[in-house]
Amino acid sequence: MTSPESISMNGLNHARFQSWPFDQNHCLTCAMCSSSCPVSGIDGFDPRKIIRMVSLGLEHPLIESRWPWICTMCGKCEHVCPSSVHIPDLIRNIRSMRDREKVPGILHKGLAAALKTGNNLGLPKDDFIFILEDVADEIAQEPGFEGFSVPIDKKGANILTTIHNKLVNTHTEDLKHWWKIFHAAGEDWTVPSENWEGTSWGMFTGDDPAMKIMVGRIADNMARLDAKNLLWPE
Amino acid sequence: MNTCQSTVLVIGGGVTGLTSAVHLAQQGVSVVITETADRWGGHAAQLACMATDGCVSCGACVVHSKILQALSHPNIQMCLNTRIEAVDKTERFTVRLNQGHEIRRIEADAILVASGFTPYAPHAKPYGYGRFANVLTTLDLNINLRRHTVVRRPSDAAAPRRIAFIQCVGSRDSSINHLWCSKICCGVSLRMARRIQHRQPDTEITFFYIDVQTFGKNFEMYYADCQKQIRMIRTIPADILETGDDCLNVSYFNPDTQSYQEALFDMVVLSTGLEPSESAGNLAAMLNINSKALNYTLNPESIAAMLPESIFIAGAALEPMSIAESVASAESTAFSIFQYLEPSQVMPS
Repeated sequence: MTSPESISMNGLNHARFQSWPFDQNHCLTCAMCSSSCPVSGIDGFDPRKIIRMVSLGLEHPLIESRWPWICTMCGKCEHVCPSSVHIPDLIRNIRSMRDREKVPGILHKGLAAALKTGNNLGLPKDDFIFILEDVADEIAQEPGFEGFSVPIDKKGANILTTIHNKLVNTHTEDLKHWWKIFHAAGEDWTVPSENWEGTSWGMFTGDDPAMKIMVGRIADNMARLDAKNLLWPE
Repeated sequence: MNTCQSTVLVIGGGVTGLTSAVHLAQQGVSVVITETADRWGGHAAQLACMATDGCVSCGACVVHSKILQALSHPNIQMCLNTRIEAVDKTERFTVRLNQGHEIRRIEADAILVASGFTPYAPHAKPYGYGRFANVLTTLDLNINLRRHTVVRRPSDAAAPRRIAFIQCVGSRDSSINHLWCSKICCGVSLRMARRIQHRQPDTEITFFYIDVQTFGKNFEMYYADCQKQIRMIRTIPADILETGDDCLNVSYFNPDTQSYQEALFDMVVLSTGLEPSESAGNLAAMLNINSKALNYTLNPESIAAMLPESIFIAGAALEPMSIAESVASAESTAFSIFQYLEPSQVMPS
């Protein structure tokens, strides 16, 4: 769906969307959402038109459309919207209505891996620990960080931090900034060896049960390690 | 001439207050009219005539004759720099006026609230107002046009070749609790755009809008002409950045091409809406009337129904309205006041 010509008015379902609490029917079609959006125009993506489609009850075309999956959920549209329509929440709910097998590949596979293994990459625990310790060894060789080590599964720490999966995949250098700050600040911190994933693709795919499982695992880690504060840098 | 023993206090010396005052005075009523500012005529007195080849009914000229009529009428006492400090009601109203150097008390049989509106100040909107020299409001540009007759950019006094108007800034906006259409802004902006092009024909004008409110006599025909001369884009931009040479980079979604675009302008004019007068809350409390009467949430009929019979409201204190509508509202309210004061002198309808 890239042009309005391809929108069919057949099969409208007003009932479904009418119960949604996102104030979508207050839309004045001003297009500040579309003007502010960092990805509007990609494949014709137009948040204003999405809101209109919801108001019209164009359920099937919306669920099948690629448009809701182009949104990055940054929330700028909602910030500028003069009618206070909750656009990212609304788009997330459209995503949730899509058949799970039709969720875009990387999100679908990543979330399945996370539910099965505890992280989006399906990275085994031994490999995870190896990568963390390897990065810690590199830090320890820098002046001022002699003897640095990464406190994995430390009980009673002040901060428990989750890890974004890309930091143990393609962006390991980015772990160092956080850790050096912890070291310099004398912070008492820890990383859990399992269920450390900080990126919840249940959020982006509109999958509430999956999100609940992912959040529950982080809560379990907090309890198991008796950590005082959670740092969750998505 | 003073055939009637009654006195009316008119609060507000803009086009509405002055018009009502003159009409009441002509019927022999004594009028005290107060104005907080140091000049008469309110916002209307700051506006430039928008005539192109002929009059376009902007109303800017109306207020000056009202000021002269009021000043020369013996039944009208005119008080500039004057605030209402307290209102007591027994048989009549006793009103304490603060005139800076002195406190005065007057008595009145009826009060007309003609406190007008306050223009919305768009600093919080994402357009750089107050930071970028060449982002103006329609009121700023109107004052500018009145002084200089042609448009000049504030930053370098050059004539702007590309001007953008952005409509509905501060109107129909639930994020700031402004649920109303300010009604006059489409006409104000379009008349201003055409007047600029009339004097400076090389000026390209782009008009960003949601829908055009074509209120008023002949506006539909005028609008048809505007659409030929002005680039109309049915989108409200959401970002403006200033370039090194004080131009403005406006980003917006173009519905014709279904694409995100950026365009450069020499000047951006924000078509800012109207909000209730800053003094509205205070006045409602002093007059002991429901604050909803002065906060643009009810229609004039509902407001009239909730007021005590000796208190009246007219003009843009009721709801956003143009100069012509304010005059009409002032005239009909003056009649209602006279009817209340002197029922025997008014023919039953």
